[in-house]
Amino acid sequence: MNPDLFLQLDRVIHEKGRLAIMSMLAAAPELSFTELRDALTMTDGNLTTHIRALQEGGFVSVAKSYQNRRPLTTCSLTTEGRKAFGEYINLLEKIVRQNKPK
Amino acid sequence: MNPKWAEENLQTIRTLMERSALYRRALAPILLFAGVIGIATAGFGLFFHLDRGWDFCGLWIGAAIIAIAGSFAIARRQALKDSEIFWSPPTRRVAQALAPPLSAGLFFGVLMTGIPDNQEVAIITSLLWILFYGCAVHAAGFFMPRGMKLFGWLFILCSGGLFAELLLRWRQFELNPHLLMGFFFGGLHLAYGAYLYLTEKKTPHA
Repeated sequence: MNPDLFLQLDRVIHEKGRLAIMSMLAAAPELSFTELRDALTMTDGNLTTHIRALQEGGFVSVAKSYQNRRPLTTCSLTTEGRKAFGEYINLLEKIVRQNKPK
Repeated sequence: MNPKWAEENLQTIRTLMERSALYRRALAPILLFAGVIGIATAGFGLFFHLDRGWDFCGLWIGAAIIAIAGSFAIARRQALKDSEIFWSPPTRRVAQALAPPLSAGLFFGVLMTGIPDNQEVAIITSLLWILFYGCAVHAAGFFMPRGMKLFGWLFILCSGGLFAELLLRWRQFELNPHLLMGFFFGGLHLAYGAYLYLTEKKTPHA
């Protein structure tokens, strides 16, 4: 494997939990904290930590509102996050192509 | 490093994106539609006394076809509004999950029509359908909110319990099969649909 390609992978996105969150958000305009937690079977604490890391990286934005008088936290990808996720996928595809037997 | 690693990562990403797309489908209208069909069919069967053999199986197989086709149309209408393609990969996944148990149910339903008329056959057929339907919902529930899996389990456990009751009290087990079907395929769908209607997130994309 060409190590250069591997080194280009975004460290923040590359972690398993954060990659799962990014993948879910990439296919939806927004998802609630509960939806993400249930779909990915993560604990509240684990999900909060990953979302915070993605938020600090500028990839995810978090909005707080109320639904039926209950607090609702929704997450969505930022423009930068969507771009970074696209680049990450492109790199993975390049790595796959490179490893295919000729 | 495992050379397959990148490929596996891409596959995981694809699965998660498909699941995410399905999470956004509003299930309330689908469940309410299925519930109305279930109640209407039970009422029709009770009124016209279609309790035996082909009458019973034919009526409910017909209702199932209408319910599945209608539910598919409702789900696809939502997807097309979201600019998804008609036969999208997530739809294919759900169809693949639903197909084996539903086909088994259809097979047994058709098989039961060949058995000489008696009400126990209709009861056994109903319980088998409830069981297979529970398996189908549970399998498709992998791509849906957690409640759908529990809904599937409810059908599976209830059919198991009723089968046990039927075996223990053979001959005294008096239950109209339309009432049984109406309760599970009508009442439970309406109840869960109403619950989701009141609790699902109302967003423009849902």
